[in-house]
Amino acid sequence: MADATVVKPDLDFVKGVIASGGDSLKKCYQCATCTVVCNVTPDKNPFPRKEMLWAQWGLKEKFQGNPDVWLCHQCNDCSAYCPRGAKPGEVLGAIRKQTIKQYSAPGALVDIVNKKALMPLIFIIPAVLLAVLLSAAGTFKIHDGDVIFSKFASTHFLQFVFTPALLFGVAVGVMGMRKFWADMKQTNKVYSGDLNASVMATLKDIVGHKKFKQCDVSSDRFVSHFLVFYGFVAAAIATAIGVLYIDILGMESPFSLGYGTPVKIFGNIGAIGIIVGIILMMSNRFKNAEKLGEGSYFDWLLLSIIAIVGISGFLAQLLRVAGVAPIAYPVYFIHLVFVFSLFIYLPFSKLAHMFYRGAAICFNKYSGREAQTQ
Amino acid sequence: MEKKFGVYICKGCGIGEAIDLEKLRKRVALKGKVPADIIKEHQVLCSPEGLEFIKNDIKEGTNTLILGACSPRVKTNEFDFPGTITERVNLREFVAWTQEPMSAEAQSLADDYMVMGIIKTQKGDLPEPSIQPDLSNAILVVGGGTAGLSAALEAANAGYQVTLVEKEAELGGWGAKLYKETPRQHPFDKLEDPKVFARIKEVEAHQNIKVFKSSVIEKTDGQPGLLDVTIRKNGNSETIKVGSVVMATGWKPYDPSKLEYLGYGKPNVITNVQMEEMAKKGKITRPSDGKEAKKVAFIQCAGSRDANHLPYCSAFCCATSLKQAKYVREKSDDAIAMIFYKDIRTPGQTELFYKNMQNDPGVLLTKAEVTGISDAGNGNLFVEADNTLLGEKIKVEADLVVLATGIVPSTRAPQEYLDGLTEAGKKGDVAKKEYLDNTPKPEFILNLAYKQGPEIPTLEGAYGFADSGFICFQYETRRTGVYAAGCVKQPMTMADATEDAAGAALKAIQCVEHVAKGIAVHPRAWDTTFPDPMMIKCTSCKRCTEECPFSAIEEDAKGTPFYKLNRCRRCGTCMGACPERIVSFKDFSVDMVGSMIKSIEVDEDEFRIIVLACENDAYPALDSAAIKRIKLNPKVRIIPVRCLGSMNLVWVSDAFSRGIDGLILLGCKYGENYQCHFVKGSELANYRFSKVKETLDKLQLESDRCQLLQVAINEYDKLPQMIDDFVTRVEEIGPNPFKEF
Repeated sequence: MADATVVKPDLDFVKGVIASGGDSLKKCYQCATCTVVCNVTPDKNPFPRKEMLWAQWGLKEKFQGNPDVWLCHQCNDCSAYCPRGAKPGEVLGAIRKQTIKQYSAPGALVDIVNKKALMPLIFIIPAVLLAVLLSAAGTFKIHDGDVIFSKFASTHFLQFVFTPALLFGVAVGVMGMRKFWADMKQTNKVYSGDLNASVMATLKDIVGHKKFKQCDVSSDRFVSHFLVFYGFVAAAIATAIGVLYIDILGMESPFSLGYGTPVKIFGNIGAIGIIVGIILMMSNRFKNAEKLGEGSYFDWLLLSIIAIVGISGFLAQLLRVAGVAPIAYPVYFIHLVFVFSLFIYLPFSKLAHMFYRGAAICFNKYSGREAQTQ
Repeated sequence: MEKKFGVYICKGCGIGEAIDLEKLRKRVALKGKVPADIIKEHQVLCSPEGLEFIKNDIKEGTNTLILGACSPRVKTNEFDFPGTITERVNLREFVAWTQEPMSAEAQSLADDYMVMGIIKTQKGDLPEPSIQPDLSNAILVVGGGTAGLSAALEAANAGYQVTLVEKEAELGGWGAKLYKETPRQHPFDKLEDPKVFARIKEVEAHQNIKVFKSSVIEKTDGQPGLLDVTIRKNGNSETIKVGSVVMATGWKPYDPSKLEYLGYGKPNVITNVQMEEMAKKGKITRPSDGKEAKKVAFIQCAGSRDANHLPYCSAFCCATSLKQAKYVREKSDDAIAMIFYKDIRTPGQTELFYKNMQNDPGVLLTKAEVTGISDAGNGNLFVEADNTLLGEKIKVEADLVVLATGIVPSTRAPQEYLDGLTEAGKKGDVAKKEYLDNTPKPEFILNLAYKQGPEIPTLEGAYGFADSGFICFQYETRRTGVYAAGCVKQPMTMADATEDAAGAALKAIQCVEHVAKGIAVHPRAWDTTFPDPMMIKCTSCKRCTEECPFSAIEEDAKGTPFYKLNRCRRCGTCMGACPERIVSFKDFSVDMVGSMIKSIEVDEDEFRIIVLACENDAYPALDSAAIKRIKLNPKVRIIPVRCLGSMNLVWVSDAFSRGIDGLILLGCKYGENYQCHFVKGSELANYRFSKVKETLDKLQLESDRCQLLQVAINEYDKLPQMIDDFVTRVEEIGPNPFKEF
């Protein structure tokens, strides 16, 4: 049998998937209902049935450079129809986490966001770091007078600390994405394609949230993800305008420009989008928990961080306007801590999906596989 | 018995509206030669008033009753009049419900059926049961495994004396050789200790059970109720008398040396039986170097469900491999058990155990066609498989391979040997002697001193199992009084064998109880009649001893046949077989049916077709068609027979010489999925029929006028059409030329 594939079961991989939210994995008995109901799978070599079996057998090399697990965005149509409660949606989510661990270096940071016991580290490390740095700057206290956050953390401080954090996150993510891309090419033996067009088409998909509309069971995820996604985009725009004011126009914070200015408009629209979107995401999970699974710790952690970032930011603003300094500064500090962890853990938390899923969708167009999807 | 006749016609259930009863009375009186005043009508014969009406006549001396009412298959309790000859004529199903009401055809049918009923009682007599003296009601259980122990306990607890014979030195069979058993209790996730030891204790302590260990059966002679069983133990023989036998002799593993293609012969390829032994000893290791096995591959259906080996599913191997996978996993958490299956078959609650095992991260399952086992170095092996769920040909390394081999019934070897002997015998004495000299004789089980051979005969499609008609009569073998239980009957799990044994024990009890009353054991479990040959006319042609499906007829020293009546199931195959037509029953004989055929009115312008319908499947199917009000062809006259095996060829000439245009034999399906209650009745009828065709051709009568139709009991919807088609064919042939004579 020269043409036979040698498969190497890896029990640790199986246990890993089970431990990270795929505990229903072994229930699958390969009826392939999931594959039939999936709206996003290509017709040829469809998923997620085969992924379920690979994971059951611990065939981790099958997931090396596998774009399919990332084409799934866990709409959970499969889990809703699974006759055995194997929840392929959850299992694929767990497998994706294994991929993140594989590609985002150092993988040990993935463990921090994945182990409940290590949860305090996620906040304590940035909190201590920021506290030390702010103390060194001499601003780590509750200031008298009007609440002005730049007294607490100057804009230069923020740029000095947060820009590297974000750059670190993005750099690790991009490096992981490049490795993943190379593996996808090799595994699927695809060596050429129209990269530019694929990237453009992918961006178009993402801007329009096209993939979400293909699902049945949890189509409301479109709204929540749309809100959170564009909430962050708006927040990023607000930040960019802030950078423009300070670094290019040489203005000093606080800007005495009032609520009609673009910074405030984008900032508040972003905050509201994030808060409303994240609440919808959470309530959707509760609503569908029985059939689709409660979501993993990994999943909930990201939701919680984003929720705290959104709520603490918005609350800080309200408290600032109300002039309640003793609460406003601590809340602002919390906001900074969580934004910092969001940046640092960007390529290790579930947020890493922006790199890997983006790459997979793009590869799918690049390789021509997407054309097989109905 | 001096017969005093009474003819009763029920007007209920539509009979009164379908038939002109006034005309019927006149016709019946004339043709049946009975006085018109004994023909009575009643609104509802089965009502208390109707029954009282009949019983009053019985009190006044009427002892031969002809009831023109519903099918004899219904209202059997109501129309039970002990001490009388009661003949039920099916006016309701065969006339009122299936013909045009008040039509000439309906009238003619009713006339014919009533007259036939009268003639049958005129020719018949009141049966008296034949009860043999000195009957034993003790039960012999052969085999001391799970099924045998359970059967012995069931029968003993019901108050019967039991003798248990086990050829090995200890009781328990395979159940005593296991390390653990598959779970039988919720939540089906814990392996259980073998349960058989408790049962052994119970059996050995039971006052009604006598156990013979290290013993075999040398000879079984006689008949149910009077079986002389010679048991040999340590060179000494002892003969005991028993009434019936439960055969629970179990199985042997399929010979793994035939599974070389699955790697058997390599040191690290073992069978599930060897795995069990190893687990019982302690560690699961590789035979080649004693290293602990960490990657164990189980290959399901090793030699089962395979046309080249055992074509059937052995029932327990899936659960066993899941259980042994648990051995592997419980001994070491970093070990994996890979199961390659055709289908996982874990029926009933075992499914829950399967689900539990599937949930274990270290139990890996895939459907696969294992194509070979090759060396992977260091004593490791590659399992090579195609058609896997992975969608590609795969190779997986394992350090131990377990073949889930299946079961071969203990009856198979003797059957094959005896069939070989019969084949050799057909080629002549030299070939037979050569066979006897060169073929190793397997262990026989019962060593019956029966005309038709010492063991349970081979049944087509049963693969050597001591099965019978698997549809209706699970425990019966083709030797009356011998009931198979457990894996000698069909592959099953120990839990199933335990229940199966209870069923077989009940059948064994039924047997001794019926024999004590002088009634047929089964399936005619009410029948007190028995074959009563007029021996003075016997030519010792031995056709009956050959054709009897149950070896109920032996031959004496001069070659003259005689009945071992308790073996007889009253099918009448001997009656059909006898060229001298000397066999008859009190209510069923060649003359009786012949006279009934001859009584049918044949008009020169009318086609008349006779249907000889098997009482067991065909007749109920006709009744079912009637219940559904499907029209039956009015040209046919249905005569029930006990079994098509009782069809005597003389009836064919009786029919055609009287001008009948066609004849249908309506019987069970035969062949591999046969349903015949008497094993081969319709097959025998077909064989005899082939002879009749030659005769008909010689008479220049078209042989197409006769046909045997096979029908299952549930094919009532097709049956009327099958009959119509035949009638059309006969009409195309034209009327019987003998009509004019």
